[in-house]
Amino acid sequence: MRIHKMTAALIALGLAATGATACADESGGAGGTLKVGLLASLSGTYQAIGTDIRDGFQLYLDMHGGKLGGHPVELVVADEGDGAPTAVPAATKLVKQDRVVALTGVVGGGSAAAIQPVIGPAKIPFIGSNGRPELKDVSHVWHTSYLSQETGAAIAQYVKDNVKGKVYAIGPDYQGGWDQLKGFTDAFARAGGELANADGKTLFTPFPATKNFTPYFAQIKASGAAAVYTFYAGAAAIDFVKQYAQSEVKDLPLYAAGFLTEGGVLNAQGDAARNVYSVLNYSPDLDNAQNREFVAAWKADHDGPPTTYAMASFDAAAVLDKAIGAAGDNPTAETINEAIAGLGQIESPRGAWQFSKKTHSPVQKWYLRQVRQDGRALSNTVVGDLATVGE
Amino acid sequence: MDPYLIPALDGVAYGLLLFVVAAGLVLSFGVAGILNLAHGTLYAIGAYVAAWLADGGWAAVPLALVAGVAGATAAGTALAGLLTPVKRGDHLTQALLTFGLALAGGSLLVSAFGPEDLPVRVPAALDRPIDLAGHSYAAYRLVFIVVAAVIAVGLYLALTRTRAGMLVRAAVDDPQMVACLGVNPTRVRVGVLAVSGALAGLAGVLGAPIIGPGPSTAATVLLLSLVVVVLGGLNSVVGTLVAALAVGEIQTLGVALLPTAAPFLLYAAMALILAARARGLLRRWSTA
Repeated sequence: MRIHKMTAALIALGLAATGATACADESGGAGGTLKVGLLASLSGTYQAIGTDIRDGFQLYLDMHGGKLGGHPVELVVADEGDGAPTAVPAATKLVKQDRVVALTGVVGGGSAAAIQPVIGPAKIPFIGSNGRPELKDVSHVWHTSYLSQETGAAIAQYVKDNVKGKVYAIGPDYQGGWDQLKGFTDAFARAGGELANADGKTLFTPFPATKNFTPYFAQIKASGAAAVYTFYAGAAAIDFVKQYAQSEVKDLPLYAAGFLTEGGVLNAQGDAARNVYSVLNYSPDLDNAQNREFVAAWKADHDGPPTTYAMASFDAAAVLDKAIGAAGDNPTAETINEAIAGLGQIESPRGAWQFSKKTHSPVQKWYLRQVRQDGRALSNTVVGDLATVGE
Repeated sequence: MDPYLIPALDGVAYGLLLFVVAAGLVLSFGVAGILNLAHGTLYAIGAYVAAWLADGGWAAVPLALVAGVAGATAAGTALAGLLTPVKRGDHLTQALLTFGLALAGGSLLVSAFGPEDLPVRVPAALDRPIDLAGHSYAAYRLVFIVVAAVIAVGLYLALTRTRAGMLVRAAVDDPQMVACLGVNPTRVRVGVLAVSGALAGLAGVLGAPIIGPGPSTAATVLLLSLVVVVLGGLNSVVGTLVAALAVGEIQTLGVALLPTAAPFLLYAAMALILAARARGLLRRWSTA
């Protein structure tokens, strides 16, 4: 027994030693392998989005020979799960055990806020590709997605100009829903638009409990609205759109944040989604060189076209590519973060964009899309440019 | 009244759906004495089968009905088998066992069908709105109301007019006497759980376009049918029907009338009724 224990101790010692030299290798020498952490929901409610985020980043690596900024990159993937309780331990492992030089991904805004105390002291740059919470200190936080309030703000003027009458605003009762709808209603009021809602306030439906929207459609009908603006995502988006198409308000034009008809939910909605107008920072049919290349590469091993989630993660890899290349021969978390701050325009499948100096999220153009037939399938077709938003 | 016509009608559709599910729960609890917390999972089996088989044609409807009902009936029967060693009236053990089975069954369904809520295709002829006194309403739900009403009447007649139904009612009132009459209690128990499963599966297949299959379906359906059972009691089909319709209307007409109270309307109504009923029960205890 004693001998066994000794052997075990020796093996442990040996492992620790090789581990230490491995770490030393990574931090030193030009062209050494860099570890990048990717945290995304690979299980639970947001599995579809998390998988898109992982695949978007991996696609960029595959298209660039597994290198970012001239350095070979080892992508360490961890599961964010349904939210903060699973995201925090996963992020802790990436930071403390894998010692990544940068962290990307994260589906939920709540998860993104909860992991700040973990990555903050390590001064690791965080290039989020989806959920963007309200944060006090963004010195090491960057997002390639958008701020929740920008989606609605980008389409408000268009809705005001094209709808003759009042508009009914309805959305889910949680932080994301409040931000999305507030973005629209504030900008809509500034543009001189009027809400049809009874007290002039957005109607929020219990989330995720609401499966049946019929009673709310009766309210909309009674309000005399000329159009509806909404934001739902996931299962709620499927229920809302399918029931809307057979409801009393089926003839009212439906305007929405793009997530209502984005990705897998559009297949589930089917014909019910036809003609829905939505606003988003991306569509797979955008006509630019980067996008054609991105969509072709994505479709090579995926069934459907890429989503905005995959595109934002692809861009997170592009940001790291440029920043690591500009961070000198021996990039560290700190020099990479400084290099991100110095990046100019980024050529992306969504069109060119750049980081806002103030919010560290994109200053980007938003597009008006409509669900139309594209070959055999329905797709979100770009029908026009909306505002460029960001400060 | 006009703007509330459609929510009121929708409340009937919702209520009848809950009635068919809850009737199964009432049977298993009232007759077999089994508190079956896996009942929502039996509904989910039916709903998943409907999502899997339905392709927008009429031929898929009987196929899904047969497969969904058979699947849920088999699961209900298996449940009765697993519960055999548990003593009648030992509700804690039953609850733990069936809750564990519900969790395991839910995981199995998710690993088989994926973690997302699945769309359910109804026959093309019913997948459209129809005009009702100047309002439009989903054709499928209108047909569902008729079908569920037929099921409700059939269930009522079966319980009041057939020998099996009389045995079931007798088993609620006096299980020992039924045993003395020479009826094997185990057979009653297995039969009742099979019928209970069949009702949940039937509701699952027919109700899939209304409460669709997904990871949270089993919990939603179980919770709503428990509310119906609490409100309607275990003694009569009519009581269950009235309670189910009330829950349906609270969830639709109630939400349309008081949208700001929507999150707590159902449970506020349940608390009120329980408070009234609990006082009633208490009085009977004190006079006894």
